[in-house]
Order: sequence, then C-alpha cells, then structure tokens
Amino acid sequence: MEKTLKKDAFAEWLKKLPSYDVYVPVEDDGRFNYEIVGNAGAIDESFTNAVVGPKKVVFPQREVLLRFNSTNEKAPEVEEVLPEEKPAVVFGVRPCDARAVTLTDKVFGGDFADPYYWRRRNNTTLIGLVCTEPPSANCFCTSVGGSPAGKDGLDVVLTSLGDRYYVETLTTRGEKVVSDGGKVFGEPAADDKKAAEKVGTEAAAKVERQVEGVNDLTENLRDMFDSPFWDEESLSCIRCGICTYLCPTCHCFDINDEVLVPVPLTGERVRTWDNCQFPDFTMHSSGHNPRPNRASRLRQRILHKFRYFVENFGDYQCTGCGRCIIYCPVGIDIVDVLDKTAAYER
Amino acid sequence: MSDNTYIPKLAEIIDINEEVGGARAVKTFKTVFLNGDRFSFLPGQCAMLSVFGKGESMISISSSPLVEDYLQFSIMKMGRVTSALHEMETGAVIGVRGPYGNNFPMDEWKGKNLIFISGGIGIAPVWCVFQTALGNRGDYGDITFVYGARTSADLVYREEMEKLAKELPVHLSIDVEEPGWAEFVGFVPQNVTDKKPSPKDAIAVTCGPPIMIKFVIEALKELGFEDEQIYTTVENKMKCGIGKCGRCNIGGHYVCNDGPVYSWAELKKLPQEY
Repeated sequence: MEKTLKKDAFAEWLKKLPSYDVYVPVEDDGRFNYEIVGNAGAIDESFTNAVVGPKKVVFPQREVLLRFNSTNEKAPEVEEVLPEEKPAVVFGVRPCDARAVTLTDKVFGGDFADPYYWRRRNNTTLIGLVCTEPPSANCFCTSVGGSPAGKDGLDVVLTSLGDRYYVETLTTRGEKVVSDGGKVFGEPAADDKKAAEKVGTEAAAKVERQVEGVNDLTENLRDMFDSPFWDEESLSCIRCGICTYLCPTCHCFDINDEVLVPVPLTGERVRTWDNCQFPDFTMHSSGHNPRPNRASRLRQRILHKFRYFVENFGDYQCTGCGRCIIYCPVGIDIVDVLDKTAAYER
Repeated sequence: MSDNTYIPKLAEIIDINEEVGGARAVKTFKTVFLNGDRFSFLPGQCAMLSVFGKGESMISISSSPLVEDYLQFSIMKMGRVTSALHEMETGAVIGVRGPYGNNFPMDEWKGKNLIFISGGIGIAPVWCVFQTALGNRGDYGDITFVYGARTSADLVYREEMEKLAKELPVHLSIDVEEPGWAEFVGFVPQNVTDKKPSPKDAIAVTCGPPIMIKFVIEALKELGFEDEQIYTTVENKMKCGIGKCGRCNIGGHYVCNDGPVYSWAELKKLPQEY
C-alpha cells in the first residue's frame, strides 16, 4: 500500500495514535535519541541517526524479570513481571537499525523464545526513514548486506520527497498505524515511486566506506583465533564498552537481584545490557577468566559478529551503522580491523 | 504454570552435608520442589539455582535421574550466590530453573567399560553419570573411578568412595604426602598414567580444573584412547542458561545450550577459550 504524507501533516498523524507510545527522534545537545513525545512531534530535517537505536524499545537497557517477596511466608512468592501489552511505534528508524532488530529476533527466538523481548517486539511498529544522505561518514551498510533504503524489519517506510514523504506500508502492523492516520495521507503521484527509489539509490552511491573482501571475511577469520593480530589491534582499548552498548545488534545481558527491602526480603530480578568488552563479563567466581585481556575481548567482538553469528544464524551480526566507529573514544575502527584481517599474514 | 524459563520453581533444601571445610568449602544439598513442581533431566545437565536477593548460579546436578525423590547439588563456596547457599540451613527455600544443556550420551555407551576421572569439585557433574551407570549396572562393563584433590580433607564424597571401593576399583589421590595416606600421591593425570586404564571398549569421563582436564586427556591419549572415547563437561560463567546472554560461548558454541558435555573429538575443534 503506497500513500504520501505532507510533512506538515506529520503531527496530525501522531494525534491519531493515542493508544501508542510514540517515539520520535529528539535532538538534545546536538545528538538525537528516540523519545516518547506524545503527539507533539515531527522528524527533524537535520536528523541523522539516534545515538541509541530502536533496540532500546524492544530490549530496554534495564528491565525487571520477576519480583520476590518473603512477607510472612517461609517460601518467597515469585511474581513474573512481563512488560505491559502497550503498543509502541518508533518513527524515523534507519534501515540499518531495523535490520538489526531482525538479527536480535534470531537471538531471542529459537527453542527458548524470550517472553520479555517478544512481548515488546510484537507490540512495536517500526516506521523507517530512508537515508537521503548517509547519516555518517562511517556508514558501511552496503558492505554487510544492507542499503540506505533497506526494508528488512520495517513495518512502514517513509522516503522524503521535498515537503512530503512517500509512504510504503509493508506489514499488517504497519497497515494499522497507517489506517489509524486516515485522511492525513494523500495518494501518490504517478512518478513518486520512481522518485523515492532514486533517493535510496543515490544515497547508496554516497556510502563511502566499504569493507574489503567482505565475502571472504568469515573464511579469513576462521584461521585467526590465535593470531597476534588481536593484541596489536586492541592495544588502545580502554574497556569502556561503548562499541557494544550502542551496537544495534548486540544483545548480551546480565541478570542481577536488586533488594528493595532486606527484611522481610523483597526485591526484583533485573536484566540489564552487558558488555563483552568488560573483563568480568566472562570471569568465573574462581578468578579464572577465559577472555582475560583486551585482545581476547576484541577478538570475541569481531568473531561473534563475522564468524560465530554466521555459523549460528547465517548472517553477519553487523548492519554497518558505524556507531562503534563514531563513538569509540580511542579510534578502534571496525572497518579498518576487518580490512586488515583480509590482508593479514597468517 | 508459567512457561517462562526465567521464572524459577521453588525448592526446599531438605538435607545439607558438609563435605569439605575451610577456604574451599564444599557442601552437598538435597532439594525437593514445592508446589508439586517436577523437573526431568538427563545426566550432565545443569540447573540454575537462585538465592533470592543474591542472584543465580549455574550448578551441575549431581544426583542421578534415577533418583526421583530429590535433586542433589555439590557446591563449592566461591562467589556471592554459592556463599549465600553455604549460609543456608535445612528448610530454606531456593529457586531452581532448567534443566539446561545437553547430556552424556549414556545410551551409546551400553556394553562399554566406564572410567570416571575427576579432581576436586569437578566430581559434581561426574557423580550423576557415575550413579546412573551404577543404577543401570547391567548395561555397562567394568566401572572404575579415579579421583583426587589437593589434600585428603578436600575430597568430596569421601565416605561414599570408601564404601564403593569394596565393590569396584576406586583410585584416590592427593597432591602432596600426608601422614596416614596409603593411596596415590600426585596429580590426577599422574594417577591415571599409574593405573593404566585400558582403552579397549572403554569410555573415559573427566571433569576437574581446566589444567587437570588438559593433562588427563594427554595421559589418556598416551594410553591409546581415541578422541571419541574421552568425554568432559565444561563450565563457563552463565546468566541466562538459554544461549542469549552471550558470555559462556566457546567459539560459536554456547556452553549452556550446546554443551556442557563434549567429547574431546568435538571440543578440540573449538577454540581453546574456556
């Protein structure tokens, strides 16, 4: 289903979605993030990409899994705490980040489908925004199977055509959000479809960074486990973990108990994002650590994304958003690292 | 009942046996489920135990599935959760979720001689397989146990071992000489070399500290064991137990899900990262 939407009617559309948590990229101090804005939003024309992708909507940084309560009884009461059945709609999702959600879907699916993730995921509608320009100089989506106009994971795609959006609805969830908008949409003109396609094609041509030999990557990485390469590349790492926190595909988490009242014991079991770049991520209680240094942790990040994930799920666990390059305080650059693996003497 | 795997079932501790005291204390806990919950598992699988307010820890199930009355866990006091467990008394209630992971392929071992080799608290996962083999004694050939610890006071299941020594070969060892110790003195791999178990129609099951496992495998290979005849079980830090939290992997394998049980033929193909 194709429609058009005048940009000045965008806020009208949001008003038609009162039952949803409506997320729109909001600028603060020069950076964008998806925030719940009620019905008072528009997508800023200067929007590039959010610091934290829509991952945070389907897999929040902190969430309660259960509560325990020992009042009066010998045995604690354990109460499952699933997320509320509240629909959410995220506007302005970049194709790399939507595709990333299809990758976290794989992790949280399978034999042990994660009930917390899926409760949110099934309630979340992703409204994409085709990149008219690569949002950053470090974008490399086209190297890892994506594109500035990619549709994977999106429910609706918006393409900016001057003062209006070309609106393509891809899924049933998307249809609901568009049909709720009712008359805010217009009918596309004859050449809108072509014009929209051209936006994506032109943006793709402007993606400057490419991973060399990306097709051989998994094979190249197969022989590199014991290479001194990882020592060389990880020397500057300060273990801050921003590469993986901000990665839209990274899904690792910790589970801890938080005590609210010590006696009688009442508290919550909480899941939080965790990070493979932290030394204690893998450290046994004995002190033994299978990944005891920066080299082994960088190796884990790269091999997980470009080898293990391929073996387990048939895809790179990277969508080329460039965040890990942009935000790394010491300049560790995943594209450079991958390029070097292609050339590395084994 | 919720099918949410993160929600533990409640279980009462019905018995606690102090196996080892001191800095590396080990206690054996027997638990029964409350609320009519059940749990069926296979030898080698693990359970995620909760001490509410402290957290969770993945622990090998030491009792055999043939025992239906309780689950048994032998636990070294080590981190936050296991220390809290060691403070608990009979009647206390913990959480148990699982079972998780794969199992020892005991059906494939029928008719074979079984050699169990473990060190220290590494006996915990092996004990389940061993007890299951004893319970189905007719299915297997000779059963031998090689077990060692740093000192005689660090031996877990010592009483049980001494009783069993009357029925089958039990070869104990301690790392350094002690007055009154009549059995082997030295490391577990050296005891294996000393006792020379035959690889003919045999399966060896080993668990202990990583360094012990490494040298036990070398000792077994020297004796002529093939990679496919050697099984071990791997431990890594775990939070979810279902292959999602991302930390227990060895290469692309999540130990919680794809392991913890591996033949050496399988394990040697993976990166040495455990």
